[in-house]
Amino acid sequence: MVAPISAPRRAFLFSLASRIVPWSVNLTPDRRDAFLGLIGDALATRPPAMRRQFGLFLGVLRWAPAVRYLRPFDQLDGQRQDAVLCWFQDCPLALIRSGFWGVRTLIFLGCYGHPDAGTRIAYTPSIDGNAVLHARARR
Amino acid sequence: MLERDADIVIIGSGAGGGTVAKEVAPLCADGARIVVLEAGPKLRDDEFTGREVEMARQLYTDEGGFLTQDRAMTIAFGRAYGGSTVVYTGTSLTITADTLARWNVPGVAFDDVHRRSLKYLAENNVHLLDEPDLNDNNRLFADACGRLGYRVEQFPLNLKGCRGSGMCNLGCPNAAKMGTHRVQLPAAERQGVTVVTNCLVHRLEDRTVVATVRGDAPGEPSPWESGEYRIHAKVIVVAGGAIGSPALLLRSGLGAALPALGRYFTCHPALILVGQHPKPITNYDGHPKSYYCDEFADSEGFLLETCMYFPFTTAKSLAGFGADHARMMATMDRLQMILVLAIDPPEAGNRVMLGRHDETVVRYAFSDGVRRSLVQAMRASARIFFAAGAERVHAPAATRFFIEAADAARIDECIPLDGLRLGKTTIASAHPMGGCRMGTSEADSVTDAWGRVHDMPGLFVADASLFPRCAEINPYVTIMALADRVAEAVRREWPALKARRS
Repeated sequence: MVAPISAPRRAFLFSLASRIVPWSVNLTPDRRDAFLGLIGDALATRPPAMRRQFGLFLGVLRWAPAVRYLRPFDQLDGQRQDAVLCWFQDCPLALIRSGFWGVRTLIFLGCYGHPDAGTRIAYTPSIDGNAVLHARARR
Repeated sequence: MLERDADIVIIGSGAGGGTVAKEVAPLCADGARIVVLEAGPKLRDDEFTGREVEMARQLYTDEGGFLTQDRAMTIAFGRAYGGSTVVYTGTSLTITADTLARWNVPGVAFDDVHRRSLKYLAENNVHLLDEPDLNDNNRLFADACGRLGYRVEQFPLNLKGCRGSGMCNLGCPNAAKMGTHRVQLPAAERQGVTVVTNCLVHRLEDRTVVATVRGDAPGEPSPWESGEYRIHAKVIVVAGGAIGSPALLLRSGLGAALPALGRYFTCHPALILVGQHPKPITNYDGHPKSYYCDEFADSEGFLLETCMYFPFTTAKSLAGFGADHARMMATMDRLQMILVLAIDPPEAGNRVMLGRHDETVVRYAFSDGVRRSLVQAMRASARIFFAAGAERVHAPAATRFFIEAADAARIDECIPLDGLRLGKTTIASAHPMGGCRMGTSEADSVTDAWGRVHDMPGLFVADASLFPRCAEINPYVTIMALADRVAEAVRREWPALKARRS
C-alpha cells in the first residue's frame, strides 16, 4: 500500500534530502524509488489528516523562504537552504518544530531505513552476533 | 456479523493477556471456552528477518512511532502474538518495595507481588549473561560507571539459546527471547485456549466483544475466518496495554461511570544518547542491554540503560541534520549508546482519550521535573561516555552537535538546563503505564486491587494500565505479577461467573 507522492513533491523531497542527508544525492535510480517507497508506505498507514498536514508543511517549507529571499527553497544555494532548515528546526513555535521533525524523520526513513544503508555506515549485524563477538575476543 | 460464544475472552496477548491466558487455562478442563483476541499477527520463525522497517511495520502499532497529541513524543508498543514481549529486550527486573509503597494501593502487598514476580523469573528462564557474551558497548558503560562511582547493575534477561543478534527490539530472529509468545501462550494453547490473531477489538457491549478478523494480514492464518464478529462472554479480561485498554473502555462508553479512566498515564519518557569512540567497538553484535545505572533514580528522577539501536532509529534520535549528522551515522561501529528514562509522576491531565473520530489520542504534558531529569541524564551520560574513552558525544539538548573530549570538564555549560526543546528533540517511550489504575473508588481509579473494574462484574483489566504510578523499572515482570493476581481473581469467581447467562 503506497500513498502516491506527486512528481513536484518527489523533486522537493530530494531537494530537502540533499541537505538533511548529504549522501542522498548519490542514490541510484533504484534507491531513489526505494526512498520514495519507504516514505510513501509510512504515510499510507497514517490518518488522512496527517497526510494532508505533511503535504501542507512541505508547501510551507518550500515557499516560506520567499518571504526573506524572494525565492522558494529549492532555488536557494546550499548555505541558505541550511539556514532555512535550522530556522524551522529551532522555531519558537513547537508546532513548526514538530512539523520539521516529521519531515526530517521521513527523510531519514527513506535513507537509513533501507537495508542497503548498513554497508555505508559500518553497520553489518549478524544473526549470530555472539560468534562474531567471541572471534574478536580471541584476536 | 458472525456470532461466537465463549466463557472467558482475553483481549491482548502480551505480558498481561498472555499470563492470564496461561493461568486460567486449567479451566478448559472444566469445560470453559477461553479465547484470546490479538490484534497483531503470529509470525512464523522464518519471518523474523531482523530488517528494521519491515519488522517495525509488522510488530508495532504505527511502526513504533505512535505520536502523542502534541507530537512531542512517540510511543512504541507491540502488536503481535505475544504483544510487546515479542519486541522488548527481555530485561527482567522486579519492582522494589519502595516503589510499591509509593503506589499505595490497599490490597497490593510487596511480598505478594514479589513472590509472583519470582515465579515468572523462573518460568521465563531469567538469568545473567556470561562475561564472554557482553560486548564493548555494555562493558564500557559498566566500567565507566564504576570509575565515576555510579551504582551499576547487570540486567537479568529472559533468554534461552541467545545468539546475540542484537535484534531484540525487532523480534528475536533466533527464537531465544522467552516472551509470552514462547512460554505462556503455547502453554495455554496446549490446554485448550484458542488464540485468534489479526483480530481487532472495536468495543465492548453488554457482555459482548465486537471485533474484526483480518484475512489479509501477515503471519500464520488466524484460526477464525475473516469477518466481523460479536463474541458473547461471561468474563472479559481487557489486556490491550496502557494505551489500548483505556481507549477500548472509553470507546465502549465507560468514561462517564469511571472518571479516572484514561487518566494518570505515565511512560518513562526516554532519549538515546550517543558517544563516538576513536576506534571500532563491539556494539551491534551481542545482546544490546546488559547493564543499568539507578544512581540518580531518587535524586534526579532518571535511569540509565545500555542500548544499541538500528540505523533509522539512531538517525532520528540524533538532533540536527546535514554533514555532522551523516558523519556520526557513518561510524555505527564506533558508537556507544545509552538510553535515558525519566521517572515521570502520575498527572490526571496526562491521559489516553478519544479523538473526534473515536481514534486513540494520548495527551502528555512534560512537567518541569521531567524536563530537568532528561537534561541531567544527558549530562550524566556524557560523563560516562567520556570516562569510557569516547572522543566526542552527541546530546540532543547540547548547544552544538558534537561535544568534544576537550570540553569534558564543561559538560553542564555545553548541555544547558533549558536546552531541551520539545518537538525538536526525539523523545520516545516504550513503557506506557496507567490509565486504568488500581484503587479503592471510582473517583480516582478504574479497578480494584485484583483488576476488577469497579461495579462491573465479569469485567477485568490485566496489563500495565493498572499501574497507579510508573514502575521506575522496565515493567514487564510486574505486569505479569499483577496479571497473575487477576487470573487468580477470575478463577476464584469462576463458579459464580459461569452461572451467568452470556
